[in-house]
Amino acid sequence: MLNRELIGPSLFLVLFTLYALVAWQIPLMPFEEYESVTSATLPKVYAVFGIVVCVLSIGANLLKQAPAEKADLLSKGNLLRTFALLVLMVAYSAMLEPFGFLIATSAFLITGFFIMGERRKAVLLFASVPVAVVFWFLMTQVLGIYLVPGNLWS
Amino acid sequence: MLDGIMLGLSTVLDWNNLLYVIVGCFVGTFIGMLPGLGPITAIALMIPITYSIGADSGMILMAGVYYGAIFGGSTSSILINAPGVAGTVASSFDGYPLAKQGKAGKALAIAAYSSFIGGTIGAILLMVAAPLLAKVSLSFQSPDYVVLMFLGLTAIAAFSNKGQFLKAMMMTVFGLMLATVGIDPSSGTERFTFGQADLLDGISFLLVAMATFALAEALINVARPEAEPDKKIDDPDTPKIGSTKLTKEEVKDMAPVVGRSSLLGFIVGVLPGAGATIASFMAYATERNLAPKALKDKFGKGSMRGLAAPESANNAACTGSFVPLLTLGIPGSGTTAIMLGALIAYGIQPGPMLMQENPSVFWAVIVSMYFGNIVLLILNLPLIPYFAKVLAMPKSVLTVMILFFSLIGVYLVSFNTFDLFMMVGFALVALVLRLLAFPMAPLLLGFILGDMIERNFRRAMMISDGSLSFLWDRPLTLSIFVISILVLLFPLKDYIVQRRKEKAATQAEQHA
Repeated sequence: MLNRELIGPSLFLVLFTLYALVAWQIPLMPFEEYESVTSATLPKVYAVFGIVVCVLSIGANLLKQAPAEKADLLSKGNLLRTFALLVLMVAYSAMLEPFGFLIATSAFLITGFFIMGERRKAVLLFASVPVAVVFWFLMTQVLGIYLVPGNLWS
Repeated sequence: MLDGIMLGLSTVLDWNNLLYVIVGCFVGTFIGMLPGLGPITAIALMIPITYSIGADSGMILMAGVYYGAIFGGSTSSILINAPGVAGTVASSFDGYPLAKQGKAGKALAIAAYSSFIGGTIGAILLMVAAPLLAKVSLSFQSPDYVVLMFLGLTAIAAFSNKGQFLKAMMMTVFGLMLATVGIDPSSGTERFTFGQADLLDGISFLLVAMATFALAEALINVARPEAEPDKKIDDPDTPKIGSTKLTKEEVKDMAPVVGRSSLLGFIVGVLPGAGATIASFMAYATERNLAPKALKDKFGKGSMRGLAAPESANNAACTGSFVPLLTLGIPGSGTTAIMLGALIAYGIQPGPMLMQENPSVFWAVIVSMYFGNIVLLILNLPLIPYFAKVLAMPKSVLTVMILFFSLIGVYLVSFNTFDLFMMVGFALVALVLRLLAFPMAPLLLGFILGDMIERNFRRAMMISDGSLSFLWDRPLTLSIFVISILVLLFPLKDYIVQRRKEKAATQAEQHA
């Protein structure tokens, strides 16, 4: 199995290689033809340097006689909860403009508290809707900042 | 200098700015206390607010949040042995044992007074050092900037945790790469936009800062809750605050410790890449070595010297880290990197010209540090028992609130939901990288310095007619370049020593 210390450098190696491929295809403007530094120069330098660092890191890890690694204490439940929060953030970003700030935020906060294991109805309700309303009031009525009311009904 | 101080005073004494100092210190203390949330997160959360209040007030607010967060971090270190900030880890070595002995109030008072003195000495040194360095740096040219930024990037990687040098370098390169996304300002060429119009302007600094610090920190506390303290402030085992009074003898004993540690902290803070964490550990180790035998044994078991040293050093280092930021425009740490990004967003170019072009920002930040330290001492110390209640806030509520404020903070600046999607993507990447023990600060530093490096590099190459000779043409450039290379090779020395030790150990085992 791939050593945990090798996962990161390997991922970066793939990323930096892909970056290098795109960097070598950056279209140059006609006037850049005879310039010593073009739009592609530093991206190419970064890509090469990045790949060298990744290879060094992978090599050092392979050479190192590392002691048996301590298993990371990540439980499936916590990972699922983290993933659920990420999905919730995507959903909030998608809901914000069609449903408007108030509804999207209240729904985000209630669902977020629920995902985090909060089951008390009072907390679910009073730490969400009033927060959204007070924030909306502060932004729109006090500071005069526009907050989207919802494209679906405005 | 006197004119500058007067200008700074008049800016800070504006009631709006005084309010920002107080609010900054309060919010910083509040966030800094929460285990897992540090000054970078606290400042990142404040950035959207600072965009609407102008550069002077914004910087004053952020500086207040910075020392507030460090101060708040020491409170959770002392009370529940859970440092909210890496810079206050050393404070828990003796702070928590003191609290367990029923001297929590005393420990908090030592932390507050030491922080105050460390911060004030730091502010005085900053007031002297910054204008001097700014004058010297006026002679800096593009090649000097290129190598200086190179030094900043290598130093933050070299000073990262042991064994993390290559990881920090990868993160630096990743940050530099992110900075190349968008239209190249020099030629107008589109780079890495993949036809996406939202990427033409590049990736927003606020988005990267919020995603990699605020969001990633909140998410990692969910993914790895074991990192949390096993105590809560409402836990009956948690020490009570008690009296905050110090005796004359105690003050006399700690005074030289605080003085030495403040000076050491400031010097370490000025060095790029070092910062409050290294300063506090160095001060702790120095004081333990200097202490007489009887007192040395007390270190780690509730020594007042052991608490005063890191506390004064970390605050002085925070102030010291403003020297390269204000005079050279080069941040020495993740926190000052965020401030640099904010300054650029205000349309202010930090660097040697800052003192001339925007003297009010330059001096207001320095003078506000005095006020910040006074606010922390006068207002925050008596309020500690009430502030400490924040540690009892349910994590379920707190985490979701941080996610909400981060998302809405970015949305309120761009009003573009594409940024929110991108931010979640970055948070996911940052989360995975943090789980794989990659440091985040080098990424942010690389991202912020990327654009400046490219502009100065082009200019330097143009001046030297396309030759790299600009690296050795001037003694100043060459000196900084040599230092950068030495800093880059510094971790190699550790590696070789380690390998030799391992080899010797293996040989000894074989002999046995």
